[in-house]
Amino acid sequence: VAKTSLTSPPWPEVKLPDPVEEAKYHAEVVQKVNEMIATGQYGRLFAVVHFASKQWKITSEDLIMMDNVLEAECGDRIRMEKVLLVGADDFTLIGRPLLGKDLVRVEATVVEKTESWPKINMRFWKRHGYQRKKIIVNPQTVLRINTIEIFPCLS
Amino acid sequence: RYVRQLQRLQLLFSPTSADARGARQFVEEAALDFARRHPDVVLYVRPRAGLAPVLVAEYLNGTVREELIASKTSEEIVQLATKLAGQSGLDIIRIRKPFHTDNPSIQGQWHPLTNKPSALTVQGPRLQPQ
Repeated sequence: VAKTSLTSPPWPEVKLPDPVEEAKYHAEVVQKVNEMIATGQYGRLFAVVHFASKQWKITSEDLIMMDNVLEAECGDRIRMEKVLLVGADDFTLIGRPLLGKDLVRVEATVVEKTESWPKINMRFWKRHGYQRKKIIVNPQTVLRINTIEIFPCLS
Repeated sequence: RYVRQLQRLQLLFSPTSADARGARQFVEEAALDFARRHPDVVLYVRPRAGLAPVLVAEYLNGTVREELIASKTSEEIVQLATKLAGQSGLDIIRIRKPFHTDNPSIQGQWHPLTNKPSALTVQGPRLQPQ
């Protein structure tokens, strides 16, 4: 059969490696990463955390503000679950979609609970004499991320 | 390590005027509970005649906030006081970003030349690998 421009797909054909070799390679990589974590060769860690219906990329000692009220008092330590991704300088651990709780530990403290600036909600129709003005003030909480820790229990 | 940002709360009211009734009830009943629940806030109570009752809050960075407590019940004053105790002294204006980091990039910030092959391995008409 003659070869036309549509016989083969336009993307380059990729040959997948052997599954047995692949499994060996994976095990080796996992062991190396475990050793690195156990010896503590990572510098700063960053994590992607799902919190208050939003995903945040956080490191240690940084501030996060959310537009709701948490049930914790000022100065309480909070442990954040729902960690999607953890990374360091040389390696990253990606979860599908979450990482295990015995792998990562993210701790935060509630720093302050304030209200937002007064937002004005105004409705106006011209030539109808209709205007309504409402001032909306949302309660906010500010968290400071204390630490992100990982433990060498991969598999 | 958590440090409360509220330094002192000064309660200024007059013992006779009618709109300071909530403040007087607060001082009689709830002030001790509030002081025990927030041990690192200093609460001053100063009777003062002739002016409207006011709750003055001072924070560690020097900002002073005055709130009128005229014609408010003691529960409302308690709520107000707890809210002020949880705030910090920053101005309440529009903040542009809900997050703040000192180290935004760990693996190196992305620039358009990351993940691209370097020019030394490209075979061009003039460039030859040495």
